[in-house]
Amino acid sequence: MATELTAPVETAALAAEVEGLLDSAEPEGIYRDTRECGGGLLLAALLLISPPTPRAPKTDAR
Amino acid sequence: MVSGGPPPARRAHPDADLLDTVAAGALDWIGAMRGSFRLPADVTTDADPNLTLKPLGELAELAQVTQALHPVAALREAAADLLAFAWKETRGGELFVELVRGEPVATYPVELYGVFARAGLRHPGVEELVGATTSLRRWRVAREDHTRTLNVLNAERRIGLPPHADFDTVLAHTGLGLRPEPWALDRKAAYGITHDVFHATDWGRTPGGLPAPLAGYLRLWLPAWTETWAEERLWDLVGEFLAVSACLPGAPYDLAAWRVLAAAQAPDGAVPETGGVPPPGASPGEAFTACYHSTLVAAFAATLARAAGHPDPPESEATP
Amino acid sequence: MAEQAQQNSALSAAVADVANGVALALDGEGDSYALSALLAQEDTVALAAVRVLGADVLAPYALRGDPARGSTDRQVVRRALAAYPPGADASDVSLWSYRGLVEASRAFLPETGADGVDGADGGGRDGEGGEPGAERPPEPRPGDAWVQTDPWPALAHRASQLAALSLPSLAPALAVGLAARTDDLARGFVRAVRRRDWLQAAGVGRWLVRAPDVPDSLGLAAGLVFVRRMSGSDPRVVLHTTAAQRFPGGGPW
Repeated sequence: MATELTAPVETAALAAEVEGLLDSAEPEGIYRDTRECGGGLLLAALLLISPPTPRAPKTDAR
Repeated sequence: MVSGGPPPARRAHPDADLLDTVAAGALDWIGAMRGSFRLPADVTTDADPNLTLKPLGELAELAQVTQALHPVAALREAAADLLAFAWKETRGGELFVELVRGEPVATYPVELYGVFARAGLRHPGVEELVGATTSLRRWRVAREDHTRTLNVLNAERRIGLPPHADFDTVLAHTGLGLRPEPWALDRKAAYGITHDVFHATDWGRTPGGLPAPLAGYLRLWLPAWTETWAEERLWDLVGEFLAVSACLPGAPYDLAAWRVLAAAQAPDGAVPETGGVPPPGASPGEAFTACYHSTLVAAFAATLARAAGHPDPPESEATP
Repeated sequence: MAEQAQQNSALSAAVADVANGVALALDGEGDSYALSALLAQEDTVALAAVRVLGADVLAPYALRGDPARGSTDRQVVRRALAAYPPGADASDVSLWSYRGLVEASRAFLPETGADGVDGADGGGRDGEGGEPGAERPPEPRPGDAWVQTDPWPALAHRASQLAALSLPSLAPALAVGLAARTDDLARGFVRAVRRRDWLQAAGVGRWLVRAPDVPDSLGLAAGLVFVRRMSGSDPRVVLHTTAAQRFPGGGPW
């Protein structure tokens, strides 16, 4: 196949980079969810059964 | 584990060992943690209902499914025991009398009572009260969340009240009924879809309950949702997706996802809500909050998958 | 990671430049396209970028072929192929992509007889320096079992890497194989968008637009617009989404 000649080091490095770009690994998944009010309170917001009626207008727990 | 129970009508599930290990472990942990489900004295007044009534309601709903559907007798018995415990915590339903009197237009006492009524656990005083409150025009005012309305409709059906709206019409307006672009779901929408399915199938008891186009939609996209939320390690949602899969005709079985979920289960049977198991130093209360929901879901999903019998072969030969 | 390092490299910049030029040409009907005009200079980096983008560097010719004007570009492609042949341990993706560029050159820039033998314009980087008839690059036979056997996430990833082969008349067997797994590719699109892997999503989308039975509920057209915008108009993403628009359907079925 292709042979030596005066293949500069740069070309060899580029060839490796070409391979890397062609058969690139998947980037790490980026997961970012919608921020609802009180975003961190996942459990309270996502109710398997039902969120109770707020009793008093306390700070939003949902 | 003692096996027994009604012989499954269909061929045994090829992954029965794994499914039963997940379910048994989860029920063991739930049983060991049952004290954390106990209702505090101020449950009808000051206690946070999300940390008291909601877990108990989930326990009753999901244990009931395992009690009814699991082919392994020992697991059915463990689940029956948990359901009885939950009913006892409501003081034979007396709790709901107090809740409805305190908050007559709230839906949640009716929804929670419906869970028990479904199991034949009833209280005449509650039924008199809700007969009065749910017949109001007020009760028919549209709610913010269609998924929630489905649960209210289910409760009405379970209790024997007239439905305040048409189930299929409401379902058509939910996050499932509208069949949104499957790549555009956020977490809340995902939970909405799983619960639309649970309500439409009476928590997996009537797998044929989904309109065919919706079942087709789910069959197409569940693998992608399960895979990505597993990568995100949101185990309760992974469990819910697996449960939804078992609610579809043919109950497609996502072997790879089940293995990932099983691997996320701690040796004591707990399945963390998200990420890893709570660190060793966590208090029982913290461990409970971090795990109870996802652990119940794991038992529920494993029950439905097991009860569905032999699943259809995967649609795609190369599905992992 | 390696990915990050590559994003800032001269090669990545060159790839982005060429992708941008191709996308613009596709948008503008492609009637004045010349690959050679996109390359700052015919240096090794520019040729490497051509090899990375593969058949897509000739996509505007597929839109409106004008082989008469393509002679210079044919030389550019030939030099890129010669400079960056797949190595002995090259991946299937590299082999397929290489072959895609060979096929694209043949399909979109057929020889007119007016071409001189390579070397007249000083390319000089013939890998096949010693072989006679070097103008016909070797055509590797890449494996394709993965089209049937890959689990759907891996399938979608690989299909996306080979999105340039979705251009008309290239790799028909691959297109048929992938069309048989349209639902799996559609799942891969969903997965990629959920992971915010816009490049993968856009690449998978190119196969999907030509699949005969993409599920309606996927919302592919809206999804491609979404991906393009969400990527911040990344040149490679834009190239994919533009190509998806310009080459809808038209598969060999």
